[in-house]
Amino acid sequence: MAHDNLDQRRHAEASQPAADGEPRRRFLTTASGSAMAAGLLGAYGTFGYMLGEFVYPASGSVRGWLFVCTTETLAPGEAMDFTSPAGAKVVVARQGAGTSAEDFLALSSVCPHLGCRVHWESQDDRFFCPCHNGAFDREGKPISGPPQAANQSLVRFPLKVENGLLFLEVPLESLASCPAQRANSLRSGSESDDPDTHSSGVA
Amino acid sequence: MSRIARWFYERVPISGEQLAELTNEPVPNHLKRWWFCLGGTPAYLFVIQIVTGILLALYYQPSTLSAFESIRYITEEATFGWFLRSLHKWAATLMIAAMILHQMRVYFTSAYRRPRELNWMIGMSLLMCTLLTGFTGYSLVFEQLSYWGATVAANISDAVPIVGPIGKQLLLGGDEYNSRTLSRFYILHAAVLPTTLILLVILHIAQVRMHGVTEFPEPDDEPTAPKHFNFFPDHMLTELMLGLVLMIILCALAVTLPATMGPKADPMSTPEVIKPEWFFYVSFRWLKLFSLSFAVISSGFIVGAMFVWPWIDKVLRRITGIEEISVYIGIIATFLLIGLTVWEAAVAH
Repeated sequence: MAHDNLDQRRHAEASQPAADGEPRRRFLTTASGSAMAAGLLGAYGTFGYMLGEFVYPASGSVRGWLFVCTTETLAPGEAMDFTSPAGAKVVVARQGAGTSAEDFLALSSVCPHLGCRVHWESQDDRFFCPCHNGAFDREGKPISGPPQAANQSLVRFPLKVENGLLFLEVPLESLASCPAQRANSLRSGSESDDPDTHSSGVA
Repeated sequence: MSRIARWFYERVPISGEQLAELTNEPVPNHLKRWWFCLGGTPAYLFVIQIVTGILLALYYQPSTLSAFESIRYITEEATFGWFLRSLHKWAATLMIAAMILHQMRVYFTSAYRRPRELNWMIGMSLLMCTLLTGFTGYSLVFEQLSYWGATVAANISDAVPIVGPIGKQLLLGGDEYNSRTLSRFYILHAAVLPTTLILLVILHIAQVRMHGVTEFPEPDDEPTAPKHFNFFPDHMLTELMLGLVLMIILCALAVTLPATMGPKADPMSTPEVIKPEWFFYVSFRWLKLFSLSFAVISSGFIVGAMFVWPWIDKVLRRITGIEEISVYIGIIATFLLIGLTVWEAAVAH
């Protein structure tokens, strides 16, 4: 008896006009299709996000404060080369007679144009970048080449003075092997002139 | 049909006639001239690059600590390593040269016009991918010039508006060249870019097959003379002959001018004279002539214009009414390219 009723109900549902079932079918098709598309989009989107995060570098370069010298080491107008333990070459100069960080200048040897290393040319009294012929004066201001066109000076490293000790913030990671730390007089031109070795350490 | 042939046909149901139909497309008579075979030349050289590249990868180590030493080992100790490395280097040079010549041929014969605009864009993508492959491969050597070349290129990328800084980070794996950079160059050079190139080559050839080779009817051709000949074996033999000549040239170059080793990369000292590979001389000189932002934006504009040249050509022809306007522009551009390249090659700074 129950079977008969079920069969009758099924028969009745099947014999309903197609137009009655169409909206429901269309809704179910659209809903299930949308759910599947959303699921796929969400899953592949999450995977894409993870992939992007993985490929993008996790952190920038590590920087730290290094001891350079005591403030008395450099007289006003004098400069010296400083090489960090990671190999970064920095020109440190004293501009004023005071003993605050503003009286000192620390110039990066990285050309602001496209990242090559500048070197000091004593005959022309300038820093010169061999990559695209950029030149800078002794204070790092551009005097010719593409850096002058774009008004790009040599980057100045942050400096601080604590208890008469001068500290410099530089990148601590580098591909270069750690060369012997040395400080040479820049203004005399040659690296062999006036050697003035000093120690450095992480502040 | 023999038993073996029947066995094979059951598993691969393609008949000889179908195979002939697939490969034996009639091609226009002008393809008998060798300079119309320049499209096949880069493909041939690409195969040589894949074979020699796989062999070199057996010994190469993509690490700043060992990359230079592994290349020295390949060059000086591995049996015939110097020869395979030299073949790889020279095939890269010839591949880029052949692609440029092929592109010039397509440009000056206006073969990029409707309906082949998309294939021109695929060809441009192939050229860009090939240049990138050349650049990343050169960087893998980790000698002074390649290290500084990579540094300069990453900083050029940094100057591109909006996406540049992200591009630099993705390329270098950090703010600057670091111990994780070489593996990125290696994956790009040996996996990502070759796969992209293979896919683009498939699309490029598929487009050629769909549209057929561009017809160039010549005025002095006899009207009744056949205008086509069979791809197989006639054109195939021409390509094989060209391949043989290429192998002879490659071997001669590899033996007489083998790949050498420069000084190992020193991140603390840029060499007094620095040059990229010859195919980047133009952009290197361009960077010396103008400020960075202008040089980068103008270069991007020129490359972008080259991509959509089929449509620019159409507009120019409509505005000026000169059918060969692109040819005149192309002649000026070619002289400019050659001039800047020679200028950069001739001077130290």
